[in-house]
Amino acid sequence: MKYIGKKVITLIMTLFLVSVAAFIAFQVIPGDVVTSILGTEATPEREAQLREELGLDRPAPERYLNWVSGVLSGDLGVSYRYSKSMNEMMPVAELIADKLPVTLYLAAYSLILIIVISIPLGVFWARCKNPAPNVLLNILSQGAMAVPSFFLGILITYLFGIVFHCFTPGGYVSYRDDLSGFFGYLLFPAISIAIPKIAMTARFLRNSMLLELSSDYVRTARSKGCTNRRVMYRHVLRNAFMPVITFLGMIIAETIAGSIVIEQVFGLPGVGRLLISSISTRDFPVVEILVLYITAVVIVVYCLVDILYRMIDPRISDK
Amino acid sequence: MVRIENLSVAFDGTEVVKNVSFQIADGEILGVVGESGSGKSVTALTLMGLLSDAAELTGGQIRYDDTVLAEAGKKRDRELLRSFLGSKMSMVFQEPMTSLNPTVKVGKQAEEMLRLHTTLPPKERMTRVLEMFALVGLQDAQKVYGSYPHQLSGGMRQRVMIAMAVILRPGLLIADEPTTALDVTVQNQIIALLKEISIKQKNAMLFITHDLNLAKRLCHRIVVMKDGRVVEQGETEQIFQCPKEEYTKKLIWSVPSRVKKKETAVFSEAKRQQDGETGQEAPVLEVRHLDVFYREGSNSLFSGHKKRCVVEDASFEIKKGEVLGLVGESGCGKSSLSKAILGMNKEVKGEILHRTERPQMIFQDPYSSLNPSKTIGWLLQEPLRAAGRLDKKVQMSAEDRRAAAYEMLKKIGLKESYFDRKPAELSGGQRQRVSIGQALITHPGFLIADEPVSALDVTIQAQIMELLQSLQEEMKLSCLFISHDINVIYRMSDRVLVMKEGRIIESGGTEEVFRQPKEAYTKLLLECG
Repeated sequence: MKYIGKKVITLIMTLFLVSVAAFIAFQVIPGDVVTSILGTEATPEREAQLREELGLDRPAPERYLNWVSGVLSGDLGVSYRYSKSMNEMMPVAELIADKLPVTLYLAAYSLILIIVISIPLGVFWARCKNPAPNVLLNILSQGAMAVPSFFLGILITYLFGIVFHCFTPGGYVSYRDDLSGFFGYLLFPAISIAIPKIAMTARFLRNSMLLELSSDYVRTARSKGCTNRRVMYRHVLRNAFMPVITFLGMIIAETIAGSIVIEQVFGLPGVGRLLISSISTRDFPVVEILVLYITAVVIVVYCLVDILYRMIDPRISDK
Repeated sequence: MVRIENLSVAFDGTEVVKNVSFQIADGEILGVVGESGSGKSVTALTLMGLLSDAAELTGGQIRYDDTVLAEAGKKRDRELLRSFLGSKMSMVFQEPMTSLNPTVKVGKQAEEMLRLHTTLPPKERMTRVLEMFALVGLQDAQKVYGSYPHQLSGGMRQRVMIAMAVILRPGLLIADEPTTALDVTVQNQIIALLKEISIKQKNAMLFITHDLNLAKRLCHRIVVMKDGRVVEQGETEQIFQCPKEEYTKKLIWSVPSRVKKKETAVFSEAKRQQDGETGQEAPVLEVRHLDVFYREGSNSLFSGHKKRCVVEDASFEIKKGEVLGLVGESGCGKSSLSKAILGMNKEVKGEILHRTERPQMIFQDPYSSLNPSKTIGWLLQEPLRAAGRLDKKVQMSAEDRRAAAYEMLKKIGLKESYFDRKPAELSGGQRQRVSIGQALITHPGFLIADEPVSALDVTIQAQIMELLQSLQEEMKLSCLFISHDINVIYRMSDRVLVMKEGRIIESGGTEEVFRQPKEAYTKLLLECG
């Protein structure tokens, strides 16, 4: 409990530092929001008016405090770029609430694929004594790791979207409208994300298991008359999983934070795409919130990894 | 019951077990004795079928009662073997720390034995394990059942291993150096337990050890192995009283025992007066009321540093040319004390007075304490280079350093050709000679030897002790000699300190302490050693 308390304090402190850094960064990078919204043709009066509307005429510390107090009370600010209607500004919260589910579903989908496939594959690989499948797996995994995911995405779009017509490239339906369509559309992006990561995780797990196999306790297990299978799943896997968890944690954080490239390639309306367009249009309120979101996801996932570590290896929590 | 006939085992074409034959009768305790590399463990692992795939049975066979478990040229029947493992023969290993799965509760690990070989319901299995735990002397079996290996002491872990091994009452228990990693007092308890179990359960035991004294105490018969061959086998008494083979004699002779004491009593009063010394000379090292602490706790922002006291109120002195033995079990603070004396641990309270320059240290593990990428010559010169850096007065030219290194090679009994070799080409004993050379090349005057012979085979151990003793006398060295082995201490020291749980509980002249120990703990150590 005390441990979790400490983690929460660390989380808050990190978020604070990141928020300051993000705020300062967007103050100093070149490019004026007002010019970017109104274009270069606007009159100085109109510019000044907009500046006042957005609160940009105040000194920076005041603006930071206003922003933070807003965020703390649940008001994430309004987007400079998007608007609900002609006269109504688009709140950042609504904007993100609209895009976030897509990213989260995609992340969950690909993570399930990664975990369900890579773990048995890694164990199989570690048990594999014949050279033929070993070499084959080696080549396949090397290839899968080397291919950039956007290229894989393009390849899949072309092959399954355009040649075989399994899905319409660039389309997306909400699960509320069409459940099977929803799964169908997300399947291919999820595969594109998962393939390189499956290769890495399986390889990592295999190496870790081979290392564990030379431990004394494996010999003890064998001396008891355990079958090979039992030795692998009951004794080795749990111990070999320790370093893999850290790696999986990195992957999970990365996927939840948004697979920017894949969303772009498949035309999915997720957080990653929102981030890219907001950066290019200098929609800072949106970018700042997304930066905070990504930071929080990374820290929370690492924290969960830490807790999982303690659950799996009793030696750590006793220290 | 078990017959091993003409067994030969090869790893990648090199035979490590050659034509080995012996038998184990029902209820018999058979000792297999030999130094490292003698093939004793490989023989046992072959019997259990636990060798890696790189090992090949090149000759002979193994029979258990009427079943052939392994035969040269035939593929082993894995199913048959598995039905034997655990239920008809089981094994206890050397390292109780690593031999248990670190992430599974020890109760579950013991229970697995029943799960694999019986059809008992879970509840019954647990009861059986708890009974067995109680039988092997684990108090509070319930608590042990739910513990992880790291929460138990070395002795407790080995008890768990034994409980697990004998829970199915196998006919043969193989114990491969089961007490080598344990402290002497614990060692004795485990040996007693193994003996008791073999009488109670009427199982035979194959006891593998490098320690002749242990084999003598426990075994009915003994097989002596060297370089993969059986040198001699026979009844224990016969082996010890009239060994036939030269090697057996050498082994028995090498074991440090209290028969051979330190030969030169430099510090006898007579000698001192002869030398015209009055005993008033200032000691080389004085330690007064020394407390040594150990920093605990993480480097986290939230928790402050805690200090744990590992040595409490230590006071002693070492005179010129004297060897002070420090004996104690693991965790008693011996090494912490030596580190504090050399200034490697700054968390101390009290006084340490040195009257020598650059005291040196010899470490336990000759395998990891030498830089593997440097030549022996370079390693021997390194302390001279370091000393020269620190102090311009003792700076030497490159030729002088080389000459000094060659001279030291001669002193430590290595040929000149070793100058250009790397540590990996040397045996453990030779490496320890290099460590000694490194420590002595700067003529330190004072030396700390921290378990310098514990990692070595007995015959090598005897040689290294001889070398240390002759060099110590030649160079008039003062030495703090640390060991857990009370017999080694007896052989090496003029005076003795006994340490327990961070305190020096007894001190005095070697003879005096060994003849009339005052403390109960010292007596216990003497009995066990």
